[in-house]
Amino acid sequence: MISVTPTSSTAEALDLENLTSEQTAMEIRDLNLHYGDVQALFDVSMKIPKNRVTAFIGPSGCGKSTLLRCINRMNDLVEICRTSGEIILHDKNIYDKDVDAAALRRKVGMVFQRPNPFPKSIYENVVYGMRLQGVNDRRVLDEVVERSLKGAALWEEVKDRLGDTAFSLSGGQQQRLVIARAIAVEPEVLLLDEPTSALDPISTLTIEELITELKSKYTVVIVTHNMQQAARVSDQTAFMYMGKLIEYADTNTLFTTPEKKQTEDYITGRYG
Amino acid sequence: MDKMNVSKHISGKFNDELESVRNKVLSMGGLVEKQLRDALIAIETSDQELAEHVLRSDHKINAMEVQIDEACVQIIAKRQPAASDLRLVIAILKTIADLERIGDEGERIAKVALESFNNDQQEFLVSLENLGQQVLSMLHRVLDAFARMDLDAAYEVHQQDAQADRQYEALTRQLMTYMMEDPRGIPKVMNVLWSARSLERIGDRCQNIAEYIIFFVKGKDVRHVSPESMEQTVRGRTS
Repeated sequence: MISVTPTSSTAEALDLENLTSEQTAMEIRDLNLHYGDVQALFDVSMKIPKNRVTAFIGPSGCGKSTLLRCINRMNDLVEICRTSGEIILHDKNIYDKDVDAAALRRKVGMVFQRPNPFPKSIYENVVYGMRLQGVNDRRVLDEVVERSLKGAALWEEVKDRLGDTAFSLSGGQQQRLVIARAIAVEPEVLLLDEPTSALDPISTLTIEELITELKSKYTVVIVTHNMQQAARVSDQTAFMYMGKLIEYADTNTLFTTPEKKQTEDYITGRYG
Repeated sequence: MDKMNVSKHISGKFNDELESVRNKVLSMGGLVEKQLRDALIAIETSDQELAEHVLRSDHKINAMEVQIDEACVQIIAKRQPAASDLRLVIAILKTIADLERIGDEGERIAKVALESFNNDQQEFLVSLENLGQQVLSMLHRVLDAFARMDLDAAYEVHQQDAQADRQYEALTRQLMTYMMEDPRGIPKVMNVLWSARSLERIGDRCQNIAEYIIFFVKGKDVRHVSPESMEQTVRGRTS
């Protein structure tokens, strides 16, 4: 069983407009993005606070996953994709020419919708990123495996079978393994793209509990179609619609008294 | 205007559920109002039969409270309402609790009509009747405001309570003077006093319902806030 430390589900509301630089993990400034001739993001500006969970919600095609992918430059891989604007991490625009995308992705890790473990052992999955960095010292790697698997609340379940193939794990366990792999390289920010949409309700709750624990060490940004999940796990929520950031507020406010009618209609399931 | 906006959900069944629970609250409100009106008429016309009828009918209000509670629990469990839907369900749950208590107070008031009063004591009944009409008007207006989720009307009812409080204090003084002058009349006067107290409590409960309406419309909890702060909330920009 995973250990569950009682944590408050949501932290105290921050003034998102006026975050200090100590409170800010990343800042997005006037971000526009085109896929060929189609504009997918329009002037998105927001500050993502440190050590908190930020959720992006919105209907399909609203740009939330696109925005998430911008944060670690996954969109670089899409040829027809052009971006303008800035995303600031440690006073540096991550889109500057001299930024190495691979190094950026070590700092800003990502977990996808479907668990995608490599066809290797549990152990090798976790240390994959370390090996890529040239770390092969068994003692160091052992430590990383234990720390990461504990961090992903998976250690107790797999500690006696680290050599087994990752595919022997259940979907929920695989997703936690992928999270362990992401945190093994000690990122600062963890991007989760619908991390539970392929999981059953119990595994979903385990991951949600894990997310709440992860934020003490990492800044978490999550894209989810499940609004109740956003309400449960996030501290602040951004509602996006047709490529625009409509409303960004602390989660308690957004789900009880949203300011914009579009937000209200979306979260209450009304016709827009 | 449909301020509750219950008919616009993508799920038609959710629309129906909210609409049905809202209608039940309005019927419950109507029943509570009728009970109070009947209790006051029973006192005014010394109609013991009507008073008995009020006493016999309270169980209907209790049953409605249970029924609406259950419907709200089902909505929360199945629909996980958010934003204005959530505020509506919460406002309903709180409102019906107050309505049920108003029903209980109505029962207590009706009991006064079962007593017989001498001519001297009749004057208290007139004062009681005046307070009763004031409170009945508050109840009527707050239910009306609830039906339309009318912020301004709710705020007016909230303000109206001060007047009911003043009438209650005046009546209390009058009764105390009488008790000092004629201690033999104390048992009966006590009954009148308790009824007056019940009416005053109903005024407070109408005030509570007005606060839930403001909560629904503005999303702000205005309980236990200063009058200035409440006015600011009510007059502020509509969200």
